Amino acid sequence: MALSRRTLLAGALAAGAGLTSGCAGKPLDTLLTQAAQVPRTPATLTWWVSEIPARNGPVVADLIIRAFQRRHPHIHVRKSNALSATDANRAAVTTQLAGASPTPDVYLGDTTWPAQFGSNSLALPLQTLLPKDFWTSYPAALRRVSEYRGAVYALPFYTDSAFLFYRKDLLAKHGRPVPRTWEELLRTARTIQRAGDAAYGFLWQGSVSESLTCNVAEFLADAQAPVLDGAGRVALDGAGAERAFALMREFTETGVTPSTVATYVEADSQDAFTGGRGVFLRNWSYAWGNAADRSASKVAGRVGVAPRPGFEGAGPRGVSCAGGWSNFVNPNSRHLGAAVAFARFCAGEEAQMILLKHAGVIPAMEEVLTRPEARAVGDPTLTRVRELHLVARPVQTPYYPQVSKALYTRANAVIGGRATPAQALRAARADIRTALEGRAL
Amino acid sequence: MTSPAPASRRPAAEQAGPPPAQAPRGDGPGRVSRRRRARTGWLFASPALLTIAAVTVFPVLFSVLLSFADVRLEYGGFRILSLTGDHYAAVLSSPEWRQALFFTFGFTVVTVLLELVLGTAAALVLERLGAARGWVLAVLLLPWALINVVAAQLWGYLFNGTYGGLTWLFEQFLGHQPDILGQPASAMGAMVVVDVWKTTPFVAIVVLAGLMLIPGDVYEAAEIDGAGTWTTFWKVTLPQLRPIMAIAVLFRILQAFGIFDLPFVLTQGGPGTATESLAILGYKTLFQNLAIGRGAAVATTTAVIVISCCLLFLRVFRTQADEGGRA
Repeated sequence: MALSRRTLLAGALAAGAGLTSGCAGKPLDTLLTQAAQVPRTPATLTWWVSEIPARNGPVVADLIIRAFQRRHPHIHVRKSNALSATDANRAAVTTQLAGASPTPDVYLGDTTWPAQFGSNSLALPLQTLLPKDFWTSYPAALRRVSEYRGAVYALPFYTDSAFLFYRKDLLAKHGRPVPRTWEELLRTARTIQRAGDAAYGFLWQGSVSESLTCNVAEFLADAQAPVLDGAGRVALDGAGAERAFALMREFTETGVTPSTVATYVEADSQDAFTGGRGVFLRNWSYAWGNAADRSASKVAGRVGVAPRPGFEGAGPRGVSCAGGWSNFVNPNSRHLGAAVAFARFCAGEEAQMILLKHAGVIPAMEEVLTRPEARAVGDPTLTRVRELHLVARPVQTPYYPQVSKALYTRANAVIGGRATPAQALRAARADIRTALEGRAL
Repeated sequence: MTSPAPASRRPAAEQAGPPPAQAPRGDGPGRVSRRRRARTGWLFASPALLTIAAVTVFPVLFSVLLSFADVRLEYGGFRILSLTGDHYAAVLSSPEWRQALFFTFGFTVVTVLLELVLGTAAALVLERLGAARGWVLAVLLLPWALINVVAAQLWGYLFNGTYGGLTWLFEQFLGHQPDILGQPASAMGAMVVVDVWKTTPFVAIVVLAGLMLIPGDVYEAAEIDGAGTWTTFWKVTLPQLRPIMAIAVLFRILQAFGIFDLPFVLTQGGPGTATESLAILGYKTLFQNLAIGRGAAVATTTAVIVISCCLLFLRVFRTQADEGGRA
């Protein structure tokens, strides 16, 4: 037989080898030169964007695209609907980018992606294309998470900030103030639970996912315990870190938080709170819209918002992870100049004002939050966001997903009572060290 | 009593019918015609072969190649820098991989065994149902017809710690709210329950097909020999069902070993890494960590293990069948 199995095998391998040799790199200087010029000829861009929560009717992404096209009539922007689940979204976009696809030209990505995407050449470094004072309009923590080794890989779009949502009516009934410390929150929650006014005291997110990493990072920041040091080595140690882990265990051990929090993502904790079961909820700013919506929330009109508490004694209050979404530019785009122009437009004042007026998110540009329009919207998260102390997760490493996994799996064991805080910390330290050495799966 | 001889025990020569005509030697007209026929055959088969090569053979081989490759992503695509065995060393020495293997293996063994027993029992009942069989079969097939992710999401609502129906039910018996998906043992148990609920109908329908192929005279002979119901089942029904059961088990091993959607929807691999299957680990390694070589190594090792398990199962099964045939 002419076409033997050996021939087929050799042919497939040869085809594979041919493909791999055909995908070699382009010089960065050439790409940056192209990216510096906004084209004068017609261009069509594809914007990979997941649904931006809307405050009222119009689709926010469409409003932004129309505003951009008014300024750049020869650039047409086409929306590519991305998945709303962050990890599935990353899997889909990286599959395209790693295959050198020229689309999407611009993609909206999580604030934890820049180091990983930058180190894997999946995003164009943009620092040379930005004015020197670019970052003065945005939170410092957002800048820290957008950079990797001095290069900027993401331009700000909107932020997610964590708040403490509470039941105003229950606190008033029991004559309790909004807690400023975790110790106070535990006491208040227990009092209200014992009186039978709420099944759960404090709801948050403890499932094995990035949601838990955000909570852990915030508790650690409350206790002033860093995960990584300035040189990027593991620094998760000491009394502060143990205090943070012990607090998570105390919540479930005392019943202030249900043990099922070990399976909660944001939607689960929010459902329990808007269903009237909880006194306090830690969630992102967008939860305000759902909690205040009378058609979806049993507690609408009875909810207040405050910065997260801190520990008694020294230490910050109002800590929040610098969450949110930024725009990245695909280095394989055929319209790099137009793509950079669009990403910069999204970070600019006009697009940020559209977000302020129409989207249920917090615009990244700090200055727009001081405008009268911010107060007119009636969302307390917009006006109180400046009270927050934003902290970056340990994203300054291309191995962030493995570092995050080390944190959330070990913290999950503490929440479920399968490990003591000290054991979990030791294990997390070892796992993070393995991750940083590039040996973790 | 003795087992009936399998139908395919006739000598090969007897089965083959009349001997084929002697093939012409040399470059005679017959040989040229055969060559031409072969060429035409390849020509007609080539679109299908090329399609299969493009969508099956090439991706599989390329994945194996990547598992040995030091891959670097760079502007304009990716490049294979060199070939290495490091990914396999990293995977095989990783505690996460061992944990995922343990879970996947345990899940496969438990679910396949349970589904085989329950599926066979269901098939035996179905066979005796008569007119109602069609309706019962349709109802039984509903879980199997559901898309896995949808089924997992439905069960996720039942297991939900806040408003889940099953959580409430267990709470009535236990006196406290159970954390079904939040503890390793109960999370694994929940996963097994969902898979058994979903896939037992498949085993039942395959076994039912096998039951209907058993000739009635075999049962008559067993009855004449004085065999009771239990003896008939063990000595007649079960041996006759063995080949079809082997097919069902093979399908189930292949599916169960690749379990992805249930833990992805129900637990995301948690609590901790208790329900992280090999497929979930491979997905996270490849798509979250962007470790292309290691992700491909996880996929390749998984494929090698599952194929080895299937071959081992077939060998054991064949040995037993042969022993059964000689007895």
